[in-house]
Amino acid sequence: MTEFRRRHLLGAALAGTALPWNAARAQAAMTAAVYPGGWDEALRAVLAPRLRSAHNINVAFEPLFAVDQIAKARAARGNPPFDVFVLDPGPRVSGIEFGLFETFDPAKLTNRALLPDGYADAHGAAVAAQVVGIAYNPTKVAKPKGWADLFKPEYVPKLGLTGFGTTFGTISLIEMAKALGGSEANMDPLFAELRRIRPNVAAVGQPAAMPGMFQQGQIDVMYTNTYTVTLLRSRGVNIDFAVPETGAAAFVTTMHIAKGSRNLDSAYKYIDEMIATPIQAALAQDPFFFVPVNKDVTPGADVPMRSISEIGRFVTHDWARINPVRAQWIARFNREMAG
Amino acid sequence: MATGNGLWRLALPLALAQALFFVAPLLLLLATSFATDENLRDWGLRGWRDALGDAFHIQSVLNTMRLGALTVLATALLAVPLALVHMAAGPTLRRIILMAAVLPLLTSVVVRTFAWIVILGREGVINATLLGAGVITAPVALLQTEHGLILALTQIEMPLMLLPLLAALARIDPALLDASASLGGSLARTLWKVVLPMAMPGLIAGATLVFASASTAFISQGVIGGGRLNYLPALVWQQAMVVFDWPLAAALALTLMASVLMVAGALSLLGSRVRHA
Repeated sequence: MTEFRRRHLLGAALAGTALPWNAARAQAAMTAAVYPGGWDEALRAVLAPRLRSAHNINVAFEPLFAVDQIAKARAARGNPPFDVFVLDPGPRVSGIEFGLFETFDPAKLTNRALLPDGYADAHGAAVAAQVVGIAYNPTKVAKPKGWADLFKPEYVPKLGLTGFGTTFGTISLIEMAKALGGSEANMDPLFAELRRIRPNVAAVGQPAAMPGMFQQGQIDVMYTNTYTVTLLRSRGVNIDFAVPETGAAAFVTTMHIAKGSRNLDSAYKYIDEMIATPIQAALAQDPFFFVPVNKDVTPGADVPMRSISEIGRFVTHDWARINPVRAQWIARFNREMAG
Repeated sequence: MATGNGLWRLALPLALAQALFFVAPLLLLLATSFATDENLRDWGLRGWRDALGDAFHIQSVLNTMRLGALTVLATALLAVPLALVHMAAGPTLRRIILMAAVLPLLTSVVVRTFAWIVILGREGVINATLLGAGVITAPVALLQTEHGLILALTQIEMPLMLLPLLAALARIDPALLDASASLGGSLARTLWKVVLPMAMPGLIAGATLVFASASTAFISQGVIGGGRLNYLPALVWQQAMVVFDWPLAAALALTLMASVLMVAGALSLLGSRVRHA
């Protein structure tokens, strides 16, 4: 018994010391958070092989939504479960406020010049853009002209609503509030209209469930990004993107290095390669359909811009102002929708 | 007797795992509910005040309990006749019924839930069939309604009701049924006076499992129920993961747990009453 146990322990100890040593000699390792689904598939297929071949870095991906990344990093209290975040503007501001990021040095990016000014700062770097507007099924409904159209009787019974839980949901609802005579500071007109149409809308759902409901014909109108539209169309769904008359909204997705990361060099290389021209070009194409932030790469046909330089024409939002009131909007949306 | 010869030590690994991975986090959750911020620096009753002092949250508790109760009712109504057929059937039919009862457990809840979107949707199987048969002229709302959700949960949770029920009925000695019949008991009277009381332990075990599972079925509630029906699990997730109000999320999570435990406790009390009656 004792002999058996001793030999076992010895074996385990040897294995324990040998593995990391082998791994260290062979290559550097790092962990990156990635959105589940399309992002996960894309970065595994395009970015990970490039890092392995060019820098001998082995990336492990941890699929997590933005809010889950923030929650997990906060719960870890200074011992980050991954080296790199990928975030939308709202969670990005939360991450900065909670001090979850290492100070970022854009000078360490060899591809820095390929990004528009201001796209890499002391917090992180932009790696993809998103353009948000209205998606509709052209065989079922006429093309909506703007956000206010969604509240008209011909669209309401086919409309899918999601709340303030996501970036695209939040900015879409803000744009609706503006179209209804309100503003970021006054969402009352929006909530009044939501209460009015509530009994008749086709669905009020989790953001992740909306594409599935569109595909199934439960809803024929929703607000979403061009990425979802192109992806669904590539799978045979009748779907088009409508730029609202007040303009489509745009925001950038950013990457950040987690505070306390022990793989800083690898993390910088990971972000640097993510914005490199060949990677951004590959990610912009079928089946990934990312909107590139690299000035040298042309966005896909569904994206209503020919280069990231045109993003100035789009509606943008100040998340430092949105974040403090978002919890109230979420609570109010819950209550209005529950009737 | 078992403790005397040290057999209790067999339970140690599980007990240790439970203490480490269930009791400890639960205590942490309890502590968080009495914090005023998620760093556990200041303490107070803010989380609990927000959780229980808000009519909207109380309504969510009631909705959640109602959903659990209705699902129990629906599964029981369907499972009892099937279990009786199983009891009366020959070995082949028994195997088929048992197989059908277990089969849903072999697919993931997520898959079963998404399949229900295809069935219940505006252009789904049910609406297409009813429209095609001329029973209705416009699609009826099934997805994102309480009755649609209960319909789906009834199928999803059915094995949890059926399996304990089959086990309980299988223990009934057929001689008892013959005895009842020979004493002049009609079939209905035999079912009511003999079979049902003896099936009660299985029914109560099934009800407890179905209730606990349906009232906490986060994915099914969110995907099939949608945003107009408010249940506690989604609220807990939202407060913890989107709003970052951990004390409120912890208080709501404990409220959910306490409510489910109370119902489970009541059911088990009922079970012991029935056994001793």
